[in-house]
Amino acid sequence: MRKALKIKVAAAMTVLILLLAAGVAMAEDLKMVGDVVKIEIANPNAKTAKATLKDTKTGALVTVIVNDDLTLDKFKDHRIVVGDEIRCKYEVRDGKNISKYFRKTAGC
Amino acid sequence: MLLAGVAAAKEHPGKEYIERNGYQGPSTCEAQGCHPGTAKEFLDTVHWKHASPVPNVEGLEPGKEYGMKNRIYTMCNGNDIVNHLKEIPASPVTGKTKFAGCNTCHPGNHISDVGSVGKDAENAIDCLVCHASKYDFRRRRAYKDETGRVVMGQDRSKEAALSVGRPDVRNCMVCHESAGGGVLIKRGFAYARETDVHAKNGMVCVDCHAAKNHRIPTGFDPNNWASDGIRVSCEDCHKETPHKDGDLNRHVARIACQTCHIPRTGGAIAKDFTRWTQGADKFYEPTTLSKEANETTPVYAWYNKTVRNEPHFIGPKGSREEMGSRIYPFKIFEGKAFFDKKTGNLLSMDFAPPMSTGDALAGVASAAKTLGIKEYEPVPGWQTIYFGSTHLVTKEKALTCFHCHSRNGVLNFRALEYAEKEEEKLTNASIYFDKMAEQQKEEW
Repeated sequence: MRKALKIKVAAAMTVLILLLAAGVAMAEDLKMVGDVVKIEIANPNAKTAKATLKDTKTGALVTVIVNDDLTLDKFKDHRIVVGDEIRCKYEVRDGKNISKYFRKTAGC
Repeated sequence: MLLAGVAAAKEHPGKEYIERNGYQGPSTCEAQGCHPGTAKEFLDTVHWKHASPVPNVEGLEPGKEYGMKNRIYTMCNGNDIVNHLKEIPASPVTGKTKFAGCNTCHPGNHISDVGSVGKDAENAIDCLVCHASKYDFRRRRAYKDETGRVVMGQDRSKEAALSVGRPDVRNCMVCHESAGGGVLIKRGFAYARETDVHAKNGMVCVDCHAAKNHRIPTGFDPNNWASDGIRVSCEDCHKETPHKDGDLNRHVARIACQTCHIPRTGGAIAKDFTRWTQGADKFYEPTTLSKEANETTPVYAWYNKTVRNEPHFIGPKGSREEMGSRIYPFKIFEGKAFFDKKTGNLLSMDFAPPMSTGDALAGVASAAKTLGIKEYEPVPGWQTIYFGSTHLVTKEKALTCFHCHSRNGVLNFRALEYAEKEEEKLTNASIYFDKMAEQQKEEW
């Protein structure tokens, strides 16, 4: 009886540790440099937008959700357009890539 | 009724005129007796000339104007002359070209360029890039015209013109956030609610930098030389005794407001123009180490608003003994570039060759050719620059007594000309203990 309880507690602990570890991994920021291939923004007052970047290292297409006002503003007035190279940091939340840093690599 | 009145007051007059006639540039702004002579007046400002007389920096030629137009330093090793906007030669890897240059931000069309004068220059001014809230930046892109000249496009659409008004933060930051080779590189401050108390209070850049006839007041940054001859300072709004606490007010005479209220800096900390790094687009950029706004700490020095200017150092002059000096915070930057062994002077660089191939010395050679320098011997070396630290203002996180008056405080009293005995006294808790104990009691 006591042995069975020990096994159950150990199993529960293992699951808990795995879940916590997964949580930590999910919260980790992912970084990439890529060219903008698509910007989807509903209207000039939109509070969110989707940008698809082509990873310059892997060629993979990554779509990120952009919610910060400064970047949204740059989409709206076209300071950031398709073809621009972007340095992006994002986290995966509920299966979505949420942008935390979205800046053009070029300066003056 | 009241709200409608406010809205109406914000609307710029002349809407019907623009609806009827479209927007042709400055001539539209000056039509019907509105803003007469403004374009000509603007040609004499730093925003157009990228230069001005600089009376507070040592070692400059008297009577000559200095600024981004012609300066050489290691944050921007080029300038408007040697590294003007041009088509960068194709990358050998991709075969693609691109447009780049120091004067990309100049509010002209590049045909009428930095410091140009006359009717063509007046007509070339891009009023809307600073004054329109609906500017379409797809139109402000460099291109080659039918004769092969590089032209900077402008948005002169009716929609942009109808959105004209007082410059907002965005209008200023279009250029000022990207200076020095990328977003938040040169100055390293984000003017946002999260990082600046003035932004948090809804203030915009021109609330402090309030222009007079397009002349913009600026502070005394040791590395920002050109000015329109008018200055801005904290005391313009905050009186000489800004604190409720008399002890704090006594500091004001020798400690600048920025010292306590701007405890952090950001942006590029070092850059190497002798070693260019290839980017994802296969073009090269000078190798740069950069931090976010608020990620680095300042260095503190006495400053009397005059500047020591030497090939390996640009920074504040001043001393404890001199009553006009106060302790200021500075963002410290170190840049590596080529110096001329023959003269000891810093050499400038045309970025086009290294941007395409990574060959930094080819950039030095191109700049030397433009400047008529026939003999030089390039040797790599470092230059230290003190940038003024005047944004990222905080009230809540301002330095308080123990931040400076403790053994591990932010001020290096010995470097600030205090004797060992004085330092011992100044870094002792007895200075602030009773006051802070009382405050602590009140807080809890």
